[in-house]
Amino acid sequence: MKKTLSLLFVVGILLAASGLAQVQKPGDLKFTDLKYDPPDPKTFRSVLANGLRAYIMEDRALPSVSVSAIVNFGDLYVPAGKEGLASLMSGTMIRGGTKTKEGTAIEERIDFLGGSLGFNVGERTATLTLSVLSRDLDEGLAMFFDVLMNPEFREAPFNLAKARAIEQLRQANDAPSQVLNREYEKVLYGSHPLTAMTTKKSLEGVMPADLKAVHAQYFNPKNIILTAAGDFSKAELTAKINKIIAGWKGKDVKLPAFSKTFPAFAPGVYFIQKAINQGYISLGHLGLEDTNPDYAAVQVMNFILGGGSFTSRITTKVRSDEGLSYNQGSRFTYRWGFPGTFAGYVQTKSSTVGYAISLIEAEFNRIRKDPVSDAEMETAVNYFIDSFSSQFEMPQAVMAAFANLEIQGKPMDYYKTYRDKIKAVTKAKVQEVAQKYIQPDKMAIMIVGDFEPCNKGGDKWAGPLDKLGKMHRVNLIDPLTGAEIK
Amino acid sequence: MKRFLTLSLAVLVLAAFVAAGEITLNVKEHTLGNGMKILMIPKPGVPRVVCHIYYNVGSINERPGITGSAHIHEHLMFKGTRIMGVTDVEKDAAVDRQIDEVMDQIYREKYWKTNGDPAKIAALQKKADELITAEKQYIIKDDLWGLYMKNGGTGLNASTGQENTGYYVTLPSNKVELQMLLEADRMQNAVFREFYSEKDVIMEERRLSENSPGYFFNEQVDAAFFAASPYHWDVIGWMDDLKKVTKTDLIEFHKKYYVPNNAVAIYVGDIDPAKIIEMAEKYFGRIPKGPDVEPIRTMEPPQYSEKRMYGEGPAPTSLQIRFHIPAAGNPDAAPLSVLAGILGAGGGGGPRGGGGGGTGRLNKILVQEKQLAVNASASSRSQWYVGVFQFSASPRLDKGVKPEDLEKEIWAEIDKVKKDGVTPDEIQKIKNRSEAGFIRSLASTSGMAGSVGRAELHRGWRSILEDNEAIKKVTNEDIKRVAAKYFVKDNSLTAIYTRKTGR
Repeated sequence: MKKTLSLLFVVGILLAASGLAQVQKPGDLKFTDLKYDPPDPKTFRSVLANGLRAYIMEDRALPSVSVSAIVNFGDLYVPAGKEGLASLMSGTMIRGGTKTKEGTAIEERIDFLGGSLGFNVGERTATLTLSVLSRDLDEGLAMFFDVLMNPEFREAPFNLAKARAIEQLRQANDAPSQVLNREYEKVLYGSHPLTAMTTKKSLEGVMPADLKAVHAQYFNPKNIILTAAGDFSKAELTAKINKIIAGWKGKDVKLPAFSKTFPAFAPGVYFIQKAINQGYISLGHLGLEDTNPDYAAVQVMNFILGGGSFTSRITTKVRSDEGLSYNQGSRFTYRWGFPGTFAGYVQTKSSTVGYAISLIEAEFNRIRKDPVSDAEMETAVNYFIDSFSSQFEMPQAVMAAFANLEIQGKPMDYYKTYRDKIKAVTKAKVQEVAQKYIQPDKMAIMIVGDFEPCNKGGDKWAGPLDKLGKMHRVNLIDPLTGAEIK
Repeated sequence: MKRFLTLSLAVLVLAAFVAAGEITLNVKEHTLGNGMKILMIPKPGVPRVVCHIYYNVGSINERPGITGSAHIHEHLMFKGTRIMGVTDVEKDAAVDRQIDEVMDQIYREKYWKTNGDPAKIAALQKKADELITAEKQYIIKDDLWGLYMKNGGTGLNASTGQENTGYYVTLPSNKVELQMLLEADRMQNAVFREFYSEKDVIMEERRLSENSPGYFFNEQVDAAFFAASPYHWDVIGWMDDLKKVTKTDLIEFHKKYYVPNNAVAIYVGDIDPAKIIEMAEKYFGRIPKGPDVEPIRTMEPPQYSEKRMYGEGPAPTSLQIRFHIPAAGNPDAAPLSVLAGILGAGGGGGPRGGGGGGTGRLNKILVQEKQLAVNASASSRSQWYVGVFQFSASPRLDKGVKPEDLEKEIWAEIDKVKKDGVTPDEIQKIKNRSEAGFIRSLASTSGMAGSVGRAELHRGWRSILEDNEAIKKVTNEDIKRVAAKYFVKDNSLTAIYTRKTGR
């Protein structure tokens, strides 16, 4: 009975659909014009006491406040032999207490207020963040600056953080994606502070005095940019902060310099054994910096190649046409002061590893050889232009974006000029940057997977994998012992 | 600030202002004649609008044999309609039908018979491959996705959960009509092209989960804990079902659940509600109402005896203790949620715990004071139909601690709560965190769309506020009562996992 009803229901739908000759097709829709100007960093910038720079935005929509301190200090600045210092600092900046307060007391209080106080050390910036309801702003600011200016890295919480960090090293080689990302960078950058690895030995060598020394060296008003957004008056907030930091003397900070040349690696296949039922794959080489004049063209090119999800070539071919994978594409990563990485990536069942790689390589070659189509250009350019305003929805994120431009010494009109740079990209330029930044004969093809079935291949692409390039077998390091895992 | 909405035309607009402290969650509602709900939250600022549509269907609406269907269906919703993704709809349909016929023969040979003929399967597969190639000339690849992208769509995605399915895009505020047109079109005219290659994609998606350390064990723990209710299987479904499920199964699924009376559309951002309603009437309003959808039938029966599971594999050694708890909306849900916060909150974890942070009791005692665990947390998930309270911890292997040692410690903490309850400060802390968390959640337009839209499907969007109010009323007596009631061995499953490194 129900089935019959359903059948009629379907017929009904079909009739309705075919009867809807007047149905508007998306192409018939007419949209009104929409103009959007991004906020201007200058409007929000100020310099507080002792040279502390700040980006501050009043936003009264909700009774809450966010404050961040972005410090020009990161994992990269950690001396050799002390790898893991950054993660211990992340774990004990707050929990290690201040000169006058136990870390647990700070944590208890911020939790009780329903706020949050967090600290994290990234590659080249460390960030302390506070979020509180505006009624708790004074107390929140006091805790925030106490932690920022006076961390004590007390012995007991420090030792516990160290023991936990060592314990967690056991997981370093568990997740295939994590192994792939780490080892891919090791091949591309070679031996460099960017790829330094934390081990039990290096963690054991880090002492509270090391954290204090790093803090004394880098955590200084002239080396920090503050951001704040939320429910406050800018003048009042500025006065409050200036009062708290009055005694915090600014000094010029000497930042370390890094080599920007990386040894060439041998092109070919890099295989890492793991007993799993897929191969996790990255293929490529180093990329470029986002300050490069070619950046906008590379963005557009990569969108078409494999960065624009379903509207990109790699996804269409590898996922949609062939059903080989769920997650695939190409990406350029960017990092401050160094070229980032370029990679085509895919995870596919062992028997189709070689086939998927061959399809991605074919797309690399195609975008180098032939100009992209007008339709592809239109979609890519429109996407970047029409989605542009989405970056400015969250005031705190906008302030952080401006602070990051300044700390990295990038042009402050980056956002203002962004859409014009995208509009200026031509099909010829797309092909030019494809040829320049994709070098199929200089790639590392890294695979984390089960060697036998991956190497055997399948119907559409039979192995062995060294058909793709010289085979290098990579052994992982056990970070607990420092020894190779055979 | 505009506080009241002018009621325009004859459309019924319920403007609801509900106070949570000083803060209001201001949701405007409109119900179409076919039962579809339209929710709107105006939020001036950047000229963009979060456009989400939620369906009251998820993996709990499946049954053995078609597990994974809700999710497969969500993928297929991107494969076109009669106007999208196709150049010649009739010619395409003719080839597509032939593909289905050949694949039906393959499935019968492969899956119905115990000894199917490999040669026959290979011959049929060759024929299917030829037809699939022939169909490509009529297919416009990922047409809907491309159109959204070209119009500046961000946050473009869809997701399937155990209880509901959502389709997401955020558009410039002048382009909301595009979403209405495309979503109304695929609700009634979806055509499941490229069905077989998409199943392959989903099998790869399942393999990705399988390769995430500890996945297989957790899938089994879920299956053992939820023995009868359809929370028994994961959203991705069992591999056998992914292989064998047919297009006919999916078409039936679509007809049953993708009806306007089973859907909620929500718009958050720079909108004029009167205009949204006008467009919704035009695009969604003309879709015929479907049959009423019955909620799931099978809840969890009482367990009557303790369950224990042991497993090993390539993930950290760990302990889980789970207890059955009631569904969301039950009066015990709030005290359980507060208790989870007290035991497990802090250091970035929400009020429901799970962060393993500094100030939860478990972290303070097991990680910091006794130094027996690397992490220790508690969480309370009441879910729509059946709930679970979970303790999780990983032992300090360097000190020779075993999961069983942590099990004893956690039970000691449970017994303390049963006997003495918790302190007034601990309760107040969770209440404060709940209030602040709610206020912060209002800052994210897409977050708001998600929680309000999903809540509307089940207990109504006001349940978000009711749950907040319920948290404010929790007392120490409530906490002692729920601890005594639910934290008993016969209601528990204990799972112990041991790391074992393979090749």
